[in-house]
Amino acid sequence: MEDLYLFLRNEGIDPSLLDAVKKFREDHPAPTESASRIPEPEYFYYGKKTWELAIAALLAGKNLLLAGPKATGKNVLAENLSALFARPMWNVSFHINADAAYLIGTDTYNGQAVVFRPGPIWLCAQQGGFGVLDEINMAKNEALAVLHAALDFRRSIDVPGYEKIDLRSETRFIGTMNYGYAGTRDLNEALTSRFAVLDMPLITGEDLNKLISRRYPAINARICDQLVKLYEELEKKAESAEISDAALDLRGLLDAIALMEQGICSGDALDMCIVNKSFDAYERGLIRDVIAARIPSDLTREIVFGK
Amino acid sequence: MIKKQFTLSARRARNIIWNAAGRYDFEPPFMAFFPNGNPDNYFNMVVGFTQKWLDLPRIWDFFAAYEGDRRAEEFDEYLWLGLENCVYEKEVRERPILADLRRKRAEQFYVEQASLSRQQMEYQSMPVYTQQEARWASVCGKHAPILTPKEKQMAESLRFPGELDTDGVLERMRDFLTRFFRYVPGESVTAPRKAGRLALRLLRREHVRRDHLLIRTGTGEGNHPRAVSLRHEGLGRYVPPTEEDEKFIRAVFGRSMLSEPEMRILENELCTEEDALCRLWVTKGDDPRGIDRESADILQSSRRQQERNSAFYQQNAALIRSSVKSLSAKLDTILSTYFKHMPEKALTGRISPENAFRLPVLQDGKVFLKDGEEIEQEIFVDLLLDASQSRMNSQEVLSSEAYILAKSLTAVHIPVRIFTFRSFRGFTILDMVKSVSSTECRGTSRYSAAGWNRDSLALKALGRLDDDPMLQGKRRVILIMTDASPNDSAPLGATERLIPREYDGAAAVKATENAVRALRSQGIRVGAVFHGNSSHIDDLHQIYGHAYVRIRKASQLAQGVSDLLLMLLREMRND
Repeated sequence: MEDLYLFLRNEGIDPSLLDAVKKFREDHPAPTESASRIPEPEYFYYGKKTWELAIAALLAGKNLLLAGPKATGKNVLAENLSALFARPMWNVSFHINADAAYLIGTDTYNGQAVVFRPGPIWLCAQQGGFGVLDEINMAKNEALAVLHAALDFRRSIDVPGYEKIDLRSETRFIGTMNYGYAGTRDLNEALTSRFAVLDMPLITGEDLNKLISRRYPAINARICDQLVKLYEELEKKAESAEISDAALDLRGLLDAIALMEQGICSGDALDMCIVNKSFDAYERGLIRDVIAARIPSDLTREIVFGK
Repeated sequence: MIKKQFTLSARRARNIIWNAAGRYDFEPPFMAFFPNGNPDNYFNMVVGFTQKWLDLPRIWDFFAAYEGDRRAEEFDEYLWLGLENCVYEKEVRERPILADLRRKRAEQFYVEQASLSRQQMEYQSMPVYTQQEARWASVCGKHAPILTPKEKQMAESLRFPGELDTDGVLERMRDFLTRFFRYVPGESVTAPRKAGRLALRLLRREHVRRDHLLIRTGTGEGNHPRAVSLRHEGLGRYVPPTEEDEKFIRAVFGRSMLSEPEMRILENELCTEEDALCRLWVTKGDDPRGIDRESADILQSSRRQQERNSAFYQQNAALIRSSVKSLSAKLDTILSTYFKHMPEKALTGRISPENAFRLPVLQDGKVFLKDGEEIEQEIFVDLLLDASQSRMNSQEVLSSEAYILAKSLTAVHIPVRIFTFRSFRGFTILDMVKSVSSTECRGTSRYSAAGWNRDSLALKALGRLDDDPMLQGKRRVILIMTDASPNDSAPLGATERLIPREYDGAAAVKATENAVRALRSQGIRVGAVFHGNSSHIDDLHQIYGHAYVRIRKASQLAQGVSDLLLMLLREMRND
């Protein structure tokens, strides 16, 4: 936490917000039974304004909906927020067949009787955790309707046949959703109105540079700069629909650097982690052309991580 | 959409140029290729950098100014050498790899020279070759060729420094031509842009000639020389289809697949109000035969088109196979999540009351139900292809795309039926090129474009063609491949007007919108795969709402169609 706290101070996040987070943590110590669920982020989210908005919304007791295209760091931010507030995190991946039982819990037989086996939302509510509702717009509206009471002022979950539980005051839900391409659609109004919606911006070149440099402090600054520009060029190509966004993979870029650190040459590393994410031979050719115009294929670890 | 005006190499070249320019909203005036047809990556980057650092339209105007001169190609070669030096010096500061790429390009120059045939050697201009050799020798550290004093001055003059802006570059270009060729572009540089006249010009020798690249140069509006000339008859009296017309339609498109009474019922039901002056013809293309010169010509033209479609398929077989694979995989993923999972017994889940007794009596814990692995698929897809004349310049492409769609849907066990539609002599003809029961999708090669498109009537008619036993119990999806520009020679049949309103523009769009709405009210999902001009986007939106995807090239087809189907399935699911 101290590391993250320091990072946010260095990023220039409003100190009063950070003080309020500290107070929140003091008022709501993490439950020991779920301490292992408090994440320890590998990556930090970069973006001062987004951080401030997200922290303010959570401090105000609001649930947060992170909406934006691929590779905008929605899940990284969600994880970072759980870590910052020191809350156990339950990650619920939504899909079209997610239903109330999947979210709240199911019946099961314990050898003597049919009993309720709580689902992630129930546990999150009971233990005052942060529930990350991943790809929330993939689920059917009727499945999400069971969350309405949990997400609005009632802050309770009532399962017919079982007890009604009230959410602990520190419980928050963070939804993530992709939008912006055909096939996705908006959430219905009833659900959207229960969230503060944060439009996630694409990572800027400057922030990506910081992200890489922080993760790989020994990386050569010029090469880091070229990798950032490569990512921006791929982003532009995907935006122009010349390639799919399969290759626009921030994790892939970071993974490629990790491979280079392990001694794999740049060409192979970028092939494995970026080019081969596309399964279309022609598209792979286009991606390789972009890479070839930025990064030599024979860079060794000594060059990438040298002065 | 597979843009047939460009080979895959040309599209790759364009991508390299766009990437170097950092923008994708312009059509590159130049593209560079090696004699083997592969893109010359370095020189394509140079074209892109010219756009990035200089005012390309003004540079282009300069090139256009001497377009008619017999030395035009030679001038191009010189001036691009000059530009290369200038943009290289500008770009290399922020793209360190460029020095390496330039050196490799220089080495490639010698490799290419060694592989040129004698004819190619004779074809190239020696003075230009000398300048190129001088440039590339210095770049890759080879011995410079022996130059005359004039050649040395030319070489020096062509090293446009990186500090120049567009005005400076134009000045250098003008100065170069005047000094060494006594050519004065004069006012042409500031004259109105000649871009329209300047076709895509390709740097000679390293590049493939235009003819090899541009298969056709139509506008996409059906103005190709082979296009059948169709026009509205103006405000003259419209004569509804006659028996002669019916014979003609039968001769060209084959006999009707519906019996006469069935056809009459269909027409009585659908050819009313705005379509009151029209007729319908539903066919499988059986037994067409020429009865006069015109029908024989059309049939021959269709056969030729079928051959071209097949040839196009063969040429692009790899790309098509890859598209089928990609789309099938995406559809499979979508279907596996979107369709109903058959319930199966489990130890946890929703309790099944009728089996609850098994718990205390038989000690059987599996009295709960959960979603099983098995999926019940329940949709049926009708693919409707606009086969009007406006599609004339994309026939092979559309034929292949229809094949990709049909093959992919069939691969994931979704029944699919394909119709083409067009209007001709007052008839709206639906031609079935693939039936539900057939697994063979190559019937799409029968696609050929001619005539008008009365989208509203075609959609209404397709909506009524629902008596196939394989459709029973399934929910229908109609995917129409369209340019969202309905247009027919038969006017709207509004009786209150003395002169019937033409079926075009806003009226035709409105009629089509109504037809789509009517289908949706019957529970049929309608989505559009759009291939038209941007000018029709508003119409597209009006007709289909959000249920459309725009496809510009083959690589987008799989993603676009799967997204569209996903959208339609979600709507269905939330019904």
